[in-house]
Amino acid sequence: MNRVYRLFTQQKALVAIAVIVVVMILAGGDPSRIFFSSYNLLDMLNSSTILVILGLGVTLTIIAGGCDLSIGGILVVSGILSIKLQDFMPMPLALLVAVLFGTLVGFVNGFLVVQQKTEPFIITLGVGLLLTGVAQQLSDAHPVPASNPDFMNIANGYQLGDGQFTPGHFPGIPNLVIIMVVCFIFFAWLIRYTAFGRNLYAIGGDYDVARYSGIDVIKNKWMTLVISGTMAALGGVLLSSKLNTGSAIYGDFTALVVNCGVVVGGTSFAGGVGGIWQSVLGLLLFGLLDNAMNVLNIPSWYQMMLKGTVIVAILWLDSYTQKRKRELV
Amino acid sequence: MNKIGSFLKDYLVFVMILGLALVTAIIQPKFISPANLVNIMRQFGPLILVSLGMTFVIVGGFIDLSVAGTINLVAVVTISLIDPLGQVGALATGLVLGSICGALNAVLILTGGATTQAEALFITFGMSTVYSSVALIYSGGSTFHFWDLKAPPDIFEAIGAGSLGPLSISFVIFLFALAVLWVFHTKTAAGRAISLTGGNKTAARLSGVPTNRSIVLIYTIAGFMAAMGAIVLFSRITTAAPVIGAGFETNAILAVVVGGTTLKGGKGSVLRTVMGVLLVILLNNCLNLLGVSSYMQWAARGAILVFAIWLDNRKEVQGNQL
Amino acid sequence: MDTPTTDYILSIRDVTKSFPGVRALNGVSIDVQRGTVHGVVGENGAGKSTLMKILSGVYKKDTGTIIFDGQTIETTTPHESMHRGLAIIYQELNLVSAMSVGENIFLGRFKEMKGMRGTHAKARELLDSIGCKVSTTKLVSELSVSTKQMVEISKALSFQSKLIIMDEPSTSLTNEEMTLLVKIIHQLKARGISIIYISHKLEEIFDFCDIVTVMRDGNVIDTKPKSEFTRDELITKMVGRTIENEYPQRSRNVGETLMEVKGLNTRKLHDVNFRLRKGEILGLVGLVGAGRTEIVRAIFGADRVRGHTTTINGKPVTIHNPKQAKDAGLGLIPEDRKLQGLVLPFSVEQNISMASLERFTRFGFIRKSLERGIGARQVQSLRVKTPNTRVAIKNLSGGNQQKCIVGRWLEIGPSIFIMDEPTKGIDVGAKYEIYVLMKEIAEKGGAVILISSELPEVLNMSNRVLTIYDGHITGEFEPEHVPADIIMRAALGLAGDAS
Repeated sequence: MNRVYRLFTQQKALVAIAVIVVVMILAGGDPSRIFFSSYNLLDMLNSSTILVILGLGVTLTIIAGGCDLSIGGILVVSGILSIKLQDFMPMPLALLVAVLFGTLVGFVNGFLVVQQKTEPFIITLGVGLLLTGVAQQLSDAHPVPASNPDFMNIANGYQLGDGQFTPGHFPGIPNLVIIMVVCFIFFAWLIRYTAFGRNLYAIGGDYDVARYSGIDVIKNKWMTLVISGTMAALGGVLLSSKLNTGSAIYGDFTALVVNCGVVVGGTSFAGGVGGIWQSVLGLLLFGLLDNAMNVLNIPSWYQMMLKGTVIVAILWLDSYTQKRKRELV
Repeated sequence: MNKIGSFLKDYLVFVMILGLALVTAIIQPKFISPANLVNIMRQFGPLILVSLGMTFVIVGGFIDLSVAGTINLVAVVTISLIDPLGQVGALATGLVLGSICGALNAVLILTGGATTQAEALFITFGMSTVYSSVALIYSGGSTFHFWDLKAPPDIFEAIGAGSLGPLSISFVIFLFALAVLWVFHTKTAAGRAISLTGGNKTAARLSGVPTNRSIVLIYTIAGFMAAMGAIVLFSRITTAAPVIGAGFETNAILAVVVGGTTLKGGKGSVLRTVMGVLLVILLNNCLNLLGVSSYMQWAARGAILVFAIWLDNRKEVQGNQL
Repeated sequence: MDTPTTDYILSIRDVTKSFPGVRALNGVSIDVQRGTVHGVVGENGAGKSTLMKILSGVYKKDTGTIIFDGQTIETTTPHESMHRGLAIIYQELNLVSAMSVGENIFLGRFKEMKGMRGTHAKARELLDSIGCKVSTTKLVSELSVSTKQMVEISKALSFQSKLIIMDEPSTSLTNEEMTLLVKIIHQLKARGISIIYISHKLEEIFDFCDIVTVMRDGNVIDTKPKSEFTRDELITKMVGRTIENEYPQRSRNVGETLMEVKGLNTRKLHDVNFRLRKGEILGLVGLVGAGRTEIVRAIFGADRVRGHTTTINGKPVTIHNPKQAKDAGLGLIPEDRKLQGLVLPFSVEQNISMASLERFTRFGFIRKSLERGIGARQVQSLRVKTPNTRVAIKNLSGGNQQKCIVGRWLEIGPSIFIMDEPTKGIDVGAKYEIYVLMKEIAEKGGAVILISSELPEVLNMSNRVLTIYDGHITGEFEPEHVPADIIMRAALGLAGDAS
């Protein structure tokens, strides 16, 4: 009994994934068709990649006791920039500038949150709001189409295969999945085996103790926001490439969903706990949810309601289990 | 010198309002034309009502992102009920529905044992999506219009466009709500309990202050005021779309914080929020007159929100050094 | 080493430090000899903590010189001090609880240790050197206070510290743990490490300090070898006046049962039953974490607990939350003043009136004049030092803040007053006033439940004590007639043994 309880409290993401699978099977879906066809599995991974890439950076900020809600704004501005700038400069340079834009915003976030010691939640929400306005101005609130096939190929291409889904034929691995895996390995290494990574746990666990131990808390924590901004911009570029358009509309939901996914995975807002693996599970959960709802042909408004409900339910459960831990009975 | 400094810090918003108005008046004399002033007064309606409610949530130490969803839901439900229930019935149902949405947030926060602003932020965000999607499903995504109703809804039309002497009815509603909420906050025990809850929830609870009741109350007030805002909003534009409330949550938070109510909870006032809303509206008006695009206005609001939070924080830091 | 080694590891000369409105240190001079244990005593607010924070680099001094190990130190940071060989073990321990023992010892030095494996191996060596067996991979949050101190000491040793400052290390240690700490202190001294030992427990000072410095109001009053001090002299110098008695006389009119608690069971508490009589001060004695605070929180409805019955004056009462407790005539001074007691940004007046809101409202409306009266009355009768009742309570000293919390409850006159560590962090003068208040409450027919980690306080104030060990009540004694060590044995869970 106790073990079941612990499973529920510590591996919420896994449990939630299991619940979704069961619900889908009960809803009459053929599980093998839904999950185990290579197409769907890849598609699911593929559709979650950008969330995961955003989540990797956000995980660092949350471990260090902060958070980053500006990523939605960075995502859309960088996405639009990456397309618009191609008119003025070669594509690689345009992409670089778009990503560096995220770095810059992260730097400013770091100044406000870390150097000036403001409450991260609402201030980064404000920065996100600001950037969404900028994105709308840049795009005139219309989708910005891209014309370069090379650009489109970045996120839609496949390696070791042609991307064709025919029975008995290996379709190859999507570029996006490769990028995600590379980022994942890098972040997992960063957090486990570098002084920077270990320092983040100390800073999130106890800010003053970390400071008195000679850790440059400001620099390290500032760096998390810079990284998070950069990853958000990378995500924005990849999203534009994948959809072949840049638009201001994708940002609204993303920031909260990504932060939520990271927390669902087990990285707590209290700081000092969590990890990259957990975040990936938490974010894949949202990818799976999207995928499952599409396979089950749920209309989009109902999808929105379900997603909202899942977010609330999981956060509620998260708080509730912590409350239970605090209580005596 | 020091005194001027501290005055500026306390009333920076006020100074900013005056400065902004002055600059705009010089560049664009149209600003002080009677037509524009009436226009400003009209805009006071929905946002101020929503912001007054938000003030209580923030003073109580929490935050509410769900008001946008609540406005969407209340707007479409209320307008669709005018025909079957009559105007008064629809109005009452709308207000009750808003309060229920607010109370539901509070119940989730309390039963989950969410203690921090961050947890509340995410839970209310989730609820906002739920309310919005229910609004979409309920309305089928379509927009309701006054002219589709069987009879012209005179009460709502009065709320939207009528006036009482020199004042518009929505302005009178605002004055009334302001008076009631100000008295409630500063003069009643329940209002004090809310402030104490925001100041230190644990200490308040251990002193026998009903903190749980305060939390239910702040969210219910926020929901109720969001419903009022929704009704004034669709009455004015005579249509209700299920996305009508988008952006209200951030604007309301912006107004409250710009007004000088601290996000740390405990300290703040509805009067300050009025100043904050005035600034936000003047800002919009000035930028409009100066020909700034609506998207850049959005960005400007974000920038001001960031600036106001930064300022709030500076005050705190300096206060602690004394 | 080229530098001539002086006799002194640390020389502090004329150090001054002011905060806005307060002169915290006023020309302080102290010399610490190599290889000695140097005691620093003084009331709260005497300037001990400020001085230590200047030494470690948390604060900057205004004027004066500090010479550590032959080097003059102008400005420093906590990190630099540690590298120089000056380590401080604070009251609130400086460890990250979500990280392992090993990582904590080498916090911020991950690179130097060549990763995880090096970190844990070095940590093991250091812990072994002071005889601590705790696993280096264990999380600090799972350790006892005493073990955490060992980890801190190991951390200090890892920097090759020449001087270790211990700031009130004994506050939450059991006697046995204290013995262990003393052993380690002697061991460190034998290694040539100097120690500054800050405490206000005179027993400890006389037990193992070599030289003692007394501080009061930001000044050094006296520095002498321990043997030249007498206990009374030390107290007089600390307080600046002679205190006849540290404690008032016990109240004498214990009457019939006022409250009875039966069958209190939670995850931490096991079948707790007790009675509280009118006019009585009942002490709860036990280690930190034994369940003392949990018992009173359960009675007060602060934690959700079901199943027990509480009767007051023979009538059963239901208490599921603090509001119901208040209505039933209970009052609580919580353990943590800042986190659980005060609403810091609010005024003195509003903090005092918090519990009695209903008393000065009519139809739900607050009557400001009545509230002002309540604030003024309590401030006056409790002699709270404050410019007026409208200043923010965060500007008051700890003792005055505590008096405001007491006043908050006195205003509604609870018949049962629960005080959890009421004198923690309060100077001697204010302590005595709180003791007198407790006695007054009891003499007026009320009752007090007193929890304190300072054993002499509980034993001298209480008419009766209950010893708590591991969630059980292990004994009931009248401290007037029973020697302290028997009570302590029960509190350590040794009473049942026939040893």
